[in-house]
Amino acid sequence: MDAPTAFRQQLLGVIPRLRRYARSLVFDSHAADDLVQTALERALAHWHQFDQRRDILVWTISIAHNAYMDDRRRHARASLIERSDGFDPDASQPAAPTDIGLQLDLAKALGRLSLEQREALLLVTLEQLSYAECAEALRIPIGTVMSRVSRARIALRALLDGKDAMPPAGTLRRVI
Amino acid sequence: MNTAPDDTLLSAWIDGELPPERRAEVESWLRDHPDDAARVRAWTADARSLRSALDPVLDEAVPAPLTQTVWRKGPVVMPNLAWARWAAALALFVLGGAVGAALTWRLQPAPAGSAVLASGGGWVQRAAVAHSVYVPEVRHPVEVKAQEEHLSRWLTRRLDVPVKLFDLREQGFELIGGRLLPDAAGPSAQLMYQAVTPPGAVGASAKPERVTVYLRKPDDATPAAFRYERQGELGLFYWVEGKSANSGPTGYALVGALPRDKLLALAEAIYRQDPSRP
Repeated sequence: MDAPTAFRQQLLGVIPRLRRYARSLVFDSHAADDLVQTALERALAHWHQFDQRRDILVWTISIAHNAYMDDRRRHARASLIERSDGFDPDASQPAAPTDIGLQLDLAKALGRLSLEQREALLLVTLEQLSYAECAEALRIPIGTVMSRVSRARIALRALLDGKDAMPPAGTLRRVI
Repeated sequence: MNTAPDDTLLSAWIDGELPPERRAEVESWLRDHPDDAARVRAWTADARSLRSALDPVLDEAVPAPLTQTVWRKGPVVMPNLAWARWAAALALFVLGGAVGAALTWRLQPAPAGSAVLASGGGWVQRAAVAHSVYVPEVRHPVEVKAQEEHLSRWLTRRLDVPVKLFDLREQGFELIGGRLLPDAAGPSAQLMYQAVTPPGAVGASAKPERVTVYLRKPDDATPAAFRYERQGELGLFYWVEGKSANSGPTGYALVGALPRDKLLALAEAIYRQDPSRP
């Protein structure tokens, strides 16, 4: 059965924020809109799974997050360049940071955060989700959200201060 | 607060995630510790620059394809799944091709198979193979069941030729559903029909009689009259409908293990119901 009109209207309403979230993840505007498109298609295919008591933004962000992770996994399988620990500073380096008018250093620093930290930080500071909503979207415990956000803040500031003090991703990830 | 709040606590304080008493503790700590207060201010400033850098995206016009995606009716073919499906179909097809080739080679006196290739082109052969592959399927003979109203729209959209769900009930066959298949130049569709078993004839035959209609955008727009081929137990009628006012040219192949006259009756029914016919 096709998704009802009311649901489609709800989806339309979240597109701007989904686009902003996608842009903050992948920087390139075309790649970001592709991600949004995939998320919308998945949302439509699974509309009956959406619980109307929930926030549709959190639900669709969760879908976009999963789509992005799928994408990365495919990419990881396709290229052996990416390191097995899943952190590849080159891959997460923004391809066209000027595209969003981000200051180069901010985009660069953001791109150097591990994906886990970046996502948590963006959802909380940019999308202003609560820790509980962020935990729901990323399917991780609230405590993990809390520590990822705080570590992301510290790492981002260090990078912006020009102190490339970020320890190798491997060690950082173990702490989380 | 006597012990320093750790960074996690300071960060949670920024985000308003602390219960009131912890919040008060952190605030009094920050009043007395300018270094920590400066760090917290820097974090807040970073969040602000993130927002001011990315907030303009909210004001951009939403690209039309995204809006269209939301309003699109019909089944959503998700890119990644579509790939998997294509790969699976292709694998089946290659397998079916091998089986089909082996079958024709065994069952056919040499010239018949090559006659098909010469007259109808490779696609008629593919229609026969697709028939042999999917007709014996018990659980998944079709990809989309006939009851789903989007079947025709979906296939029409993917094939770029009008796909009508022909009504063959008068001839004793009922539509089960259809599937999308890869053909040499693009997608093709298969509609599957099953003989209606008269009530009381339960268990008369374990294998229901099935015929398939294979549709594709033809390589050549020239209309072609009915042709008939026999491949072992399979009979094939195929023809090409020319371009008309409301549709492009379409190639049809009707495949079934039926006597020629019975198959012809079905082919004629399909021909009469062709959407390009007035």
